[in-house]
Amino acid sequence: MDAILSGQLLAAALVTGALYALTALGLNLVYGTMRLLNVAHGDLVMIGAYVAFWAFTLLALSPLLSLLGSAALAALLGLALYYGLFRRLLDGGKAAQRLEANSLLLFFGVSVIVQNLAALQFTSTPRGFQYLDEVYHFGNISVTGNRIAAFLVAIAICLGVMAFLRFHVTGLAIKALIQRRDAAAIVGVNIERVQILTLCLGFATASVAGALVSMTEQISPFMGFPFTIAAFVVIILGGLGNITGGIAAGFLLGLLETYGVALTSSAYRSILIYGVFVLILLVRPQGLLGGRRIVR
Amino acid sequence: MKATAALLSILVLAFAALPLGAGDYFIGVGLSVLMYVALTQSWTVLSGMTGYVSLGHVVFYGLGGYVAALAWGTVPLAAIIPLAGIAAFALAATIGSPALRVRGPYFVILTFGLAELVKYIVIVIEGWLGKFSRVMFGAPGLDTLYYIMLALAAAATILTLSVRRSRFGQGLRAIRENEEAAETVGVPTVRFKLLAFGLSAIIPGMVGSVMVLRSTYFEPAQLFDPVVSFSIVTMAVVGGSDDVMGPLLGAAGFVVLSELLWANAPQLYMIFLGLLLILFVLFVPEGMSGKLFPARRRGAR
Amino acid sequence: MIRNLSLAIAATAALATAASAESVKIGFSIAKTGLFAAGAPSQLNAYELWREQVNAKGGLNVAGKKMMVEFVQYDDQSNPGNAVKIYEKLITDDKVNLLLAPWGTPHHFAVAAVLEKYKFPMVGNTAASVQLREIKAGYIWFPTSTIPDKMAVEMVKLLKANGYKTAALINNVLPFAKEFKAAIVPELKKSGIELKVSEEYPPDIKDMTAMLSKVKAASPQAVIVLSYPSDSVLYAKQAKEIGISAPFQFVAIGPTIDFYSKAVGPAANGFVTMGHWSPHKAEWKRAKPFYDAYVKKFNEKPDYLDTVLSYMSCEILEQAVAKAGLDKEKIRQAISTMTFDTINGPVKFQGVQNAITPTAFLQIQGDELQIIWPKSIATSSFKAKTGW
Repeated sequence: MDAILSGQLLAAALVTGALYALTALGLNLVYGTMRLLNVAHGDLVMIGAYVAFWAFTLLALSPLLSLLGSAALAALLGLALYYGLFRRLLDGGKAAQRLEANSLLLFFGVSVIVQNLAALQFTSTPRGFQYLDEVYHFGNISVTGNRIAAFLVAIAICLGVMAFLRFHVTGLAIKALIQRRDAAAIVGVNIERVQILTLCLGFATASVAGALVSMTEQISPFMGFPFTIAAFVVIILGGLGNITGGIAAGFLLGLLETYGVALTSSAYRSILIYGVFVLILLVRPQGLLGGRRIVR
Repeated sequence: MKATAALLSILVLAFAALPLGAGDYFIGVGLSVLMYVALTQSWTVLSGMTGYVSLGHVVFYGLGGYVAALAWGTVPLAAIIPLAGIAAFALAATIGSPALRVRGPYFVILTFGLAELVKYIVIVIEGWLGKFSRVMFGAPGLDTLYYIMLALAAAATILTLSVRRSRFGQGLRAIRENEEAAETVGVPTVRFKLLAFGLSAIIPGMVGSVMVLRSTYFEPAQLFDPVVSFSIVTMAVVGGSDDVMGPLLGAAGFVVLSELLWANAPQLYMIFLGLLLILFVLFVPEGMSGKLFPARRRGAR
Repeated sequence: MIRNLSLAIAATAALATAASAESVKIGFSIAKTGLFAAGAPSQLNAYELWREQVNAKGGLNVAGKKMMVEFVQYDDQSNPGNAVKIYEKLITDDKVNLLLAPWGTPHHFAVAAVLEKYKFPMVGNTAASVQLREIKAGYIWFPTSTIPDKMAVEMVKLLKANGYKTAALINNVLPFAKEFKAAIVPELKKSGIELKVSEEYPPDIKDMTAMLSKVKAASPQAVIVLSYPSDSVLYAKQAKEIGISAPFQFVAIGPTIDFYSKAVGPAANGFVTMGHWSPHKAEWKRAKPFYDAYVKKFNEKPDYLDTVLSYMSCEILEQAVAKAGLDKEKIRQAISTMTFDTINGPVKFQGVQNAITPTAFLQIQGDELQIIWPKSIATSSFKAKTGW
């Protein structure tokens, strides 16, 4: 029982939660504004992780710096995908009618391509590196330096995006697009520009999450899928398109996972997560924190 | 109508004749094609007709396989396969009621989540039973399994055809066009959706039991692999889900293409498949059958 | 006249060499994509190195005749069902002369049935399960000695030899780890070592803090972590964070792969793991040259477990074919009866299993992996882990 009340668990839950929140942030932005189901989201995390790994191994660059590179690369990818694929889908026409189902398949195709390109280029041999791995002690809580750094960066970005959405003109435009797409056009929002920006921002944040996890986890071409799942669970929990909800839900999931596991057993971790996921969808699809009723 | 029946009969005969002349490798390829035909046709009974896209259909396949793995050795083959189908139907009936109340993309994600949930439950159950993997010795040979699969593929096709032609099918299409409107005109939407869900589960369950005997090895993480669900949806999109020929084209095209690419571009074939999928979604959303047989598309009016 | 004769001889010799520049086709499938793709490169690299070396010597010795080696390989996408199809294709369609093994236990099981059907012998490598013994001896053999039940017995011996009395065990729910756990729990009980914590976790676990806190609170002398590479990395980083101070820490899969030391660094010092090879055993004459050649070609160390086993399976095949040629029955006879000289010393099969190589353990000591058990092949002795 002491273990449950310990600060150590809380610290772990917070770090895990912050990373969940950051990972899901991009997915939420993209879905909220464009209704695109990005099942390649986790692969963006993978790309970010590889950028950080190679930057560290070849250039001795800290992941905290190279995450900018990760973000830039992902944003470029977003741009390319937008002009190459999604423009057509978002414009109307035959394919646009079944937008969500089609976006799912499109992103699935993208995912397959990205994963296999990575495997081709980097081989599937797993990678890893050590950075900031001294352990710091605060009372009877010990945390590794890289986890503290990951936590701080993740929180900063989440708060930054929240502030952006609330106070900056473009951020407000994004929010408008999420809430009432048709109305947004009427009040003069340049839909296309906002969409491009959101896609790039969404991709970039996922990639930064990748750079952060690369410090603590194994890196391989097919590592993305669990991150995609986690992101979907988080955005459902928080309500699709609800950015603040998603961030809170990320932390909630971190807490649930850590304490749920402590109370039962790690063996039940996945059942716990998927169980909650399914339950939410069945009982309250608009999410724990989402307000609007779902209209198809 | 006559043309479809004739075409299908010819196909059945062709597939039936395959093992007589071809080597094991080609029979194996034929088995894969038939497997995906069976899976995809069944899937369209739900997702093609009602518009409720299931991304978790592997759960029925996996469950059927698990039933076979559990029963192998104690229950004869002739009983295992129907048992697998019944188990799948039971699962669909149980989760269908709450699940089908959820709409649109939520349903899609929900089916995916359900499949994963069941997978992890099976892993825990296997843990309690003290088993980490199961090997099935004395499994039936390739030829037997091939003919069983042919029967399943034929059954799935007939199922799809009958549903399409029935009032039940009309009701399903009405649900796809506008569920509220369908309700207003008296379509028993809840019951119909549930029935479609159940029907779409039976054959995948049986297919799962056959395939687990084919690989003679069962392990939950592999049998409940989400890639199967994605492949079904891919084939339906590429082949077209509005026509009974769609899944046939999709399955055959996909499997044959995979086999060709594998052999000649081993590293790149997955990339080609990904590109192909993207091209189809963007440029041919009605699928191959939509392009090849546009006149065959029946409206719901 | 003598001139004509020597010309004739030269011409015949030239013809003979030209004829023997035929190639021998060797087929296999490997997980290039999917769940197991991260593990497969260790194996594929071994195959590639072997082929390169054999061809550099003029080709494979096929009962006296030299033939260049050509691979026919496919990606099974980590799906044993695909492996079955591929091996059927290799045998009936591509008509390969010889076969090498796919990666992983499930694939070996799946393929065994195909080998039996076509009476085609194949030397396995990266497979380890008690269930292997249930496969009828005949067309597949397993050189590995890392079989869970034997390892359980040996590990308990090792623990007792060091006087350890308490243990904690955490394991991944994937088959091999679970099998290992099922073997070791009763052995611990039998020997009076108290198992204070026993927890399982799913393969995609992201945080072990809760589990490791329990382990730390129990203060066991031995921590047994039955993990796969990605969770092995997680364990090292998080056990260091929490500060687990057990002198004996066993990490099942991962430490033998080169990337592990790069990912985890000095924290892994003292970890015990599965394996039975070292490049430094002088009596295994092929070991060091293999090691050097691998490092030269791939710029990293070989995986002391999978790469070694894969290379051994190639050596066994090579030696069998040198004696028996390409006739399948003769090869089968040769593999079943010969004693082979491999980079891991001598290997001889009894039924499907390797009767000579003992079940052993390695330990990361500084920069190297040493064999620390059993004493008969040890290159160093066990050193308790003292901090991170």
